[in-house]
Amino acid sequence: MASKPMTGQAFFVLTALAGGPRHGYGIVGEVAELSQGRILLKIGSLYGVLDRLAAEGLIEPDREEAHDGRLRRYYRLTRDGQRALAEEAELHAAAARAVRAGLGQTGPAAAGAAG
Amino acid sequence: MNGGLDLEQRYRRVLRLLPGWYRERWEEDMVAAFLDSWHTGDPEDDEWALEFCKPTWPEVADVAVLAVRLHLGGPGTPRRYAWGQAIRRAVLAVLLLHAVLGLNVLVRITWSRRLFGLPAPPAILATATPGGVWDTVFYVVNFAWVVIFVALVLGHYRTARVLAALAIVPDLVALLQAEFTRIMPVPFGPWAWWILFNLVLVLAMTTFHSGAPRAARWPWLLALPAGYLLVIVPLLTLQATGNSAWVPDLAGQCCLLVAVACLAHVPRAWSRHAAGSGVWSLTLTLLATLAGAYRIATLTSYLYDPHLVNVSLAELLILLVAIALVAPDAARAQAGTPARPPHPHATAA
Repeated sequence: MASKPMTGQAFFVLTALAGGPRHGYGIVGEVAELSQGRILLKIGSLYGVLDRLAAEGLIEPDREEAHDGRLRRYYRLTRDGQRALAEEAELHAAAARAVRAGLGQTGPAAAGAAG
Repeated sequence: MNGGLDLEQRYRRVLRLLPGWYRERWEEDMVAAFLDSWHTGDPEDDEWALEFCKPTWPEVADVAVLAVRLHLGGPGTPRRYAWGQAIRRAVLAVLLLHAVLGLNVLVRITWSRRLFGLPAPPAILATATPGGVWDTVFYVVNFAWVVIFVALVLGHYRTARVLAALAIVPDLVALLQAEFTRIMPVPFGPWAWWILFNLVLVLAMTTFHSGAPRAARWPWLLALPAGYLLVIVPLLTLQATGNSAWVPDLAGQCCLLVAVACLAHVPRAWSRHAAGSGVWSLTLTLLATLAGAYRIATLTSYLYDPHLVNVSLAELLILLVAIALVAPDAARAQAGTPARPPHPHATAA
């Protein structure tokens, strides 16, 4: 059965957590880096996404650490989150292969050569 | 100059736009992440920023957009969750009604044909064996509702949706045929049944999508034989013993069943400790709306008999009183929160 489509923000947040647990602002920084600066999450948007992902059981709290007198809560992927991210990544990879095939390219090197 | 507020207090003031349940869950996290985003690494700059800076307009707008989504009940919010669950449970309840009626047809045919060595039924309960294509189609549709109900409970959503969409077609054809040939016995009742308990049902079945929580299998599956024994058997007994006058019509039965369900639910709805009661209250409210609408639509069939109109109005009144008892809990369900993963214990570094 097909699963719900994942938004770009949710995909990058899950990808940011694939490397290990991160706290809120850590996720913002990782998402900016992964998206090469294309997705700059505001705090409101970030917690809108985190709330949805937590409700869907894709992420869960990992631990809390004290920092500058306040607690930072870290989040990690759940098993369902890992599975959903892997499925979404496979979709993206398939789409990328289709694009390359459509453009008559076989990989990044070919894209570079064409450019 | 700064109004006595520092950056954190100003951001917390912006966060007041968000619903209370959301702030309770996320406010501290948001404040921590927001203040992190202002850190430059230079203690003097950081101190100045914390004391004199304000949240930027894009940051405020971002929180405002989130607040609007949450207040309107966007995906993943308690309001959306409560409505989704309530609609799915109402769909299961209506399908259960169809399935129990289908099971009744199956039992009566089996009994009338004296299969399995059964004795002959009382004449009033005897059912004619299907004769002709249309009769057979309608019997098959009755049995199909049992299959549809079981399929939905077992999680075969697409199969259930397709079968249900097909199962409502023969009734529609029969209704249109009756309209065109002007043999419709009563003006609104059959159409009301088809629209409320067939068409609306099939449309509402779309809420059973792949991400929807699964229904509790065994309670719903057991509800089928239980419904037959607790509702159909007493009604058949009344008919077989010559007390048919005490049997309400289908609309009346729907009103009374929902009213009884409301009364059974009242202790949970009024308890402050019963988790998740609000979604059931919302479900009962939806079912009461369906039953009430059907009762009103079928009233026109009894205009010739003031006694039957009074009985119908009494059923409606009973339904209204019963639903009034759970309506406040249903309203609260929209502000409640769905189950969330637990937060970890602090492991301060």
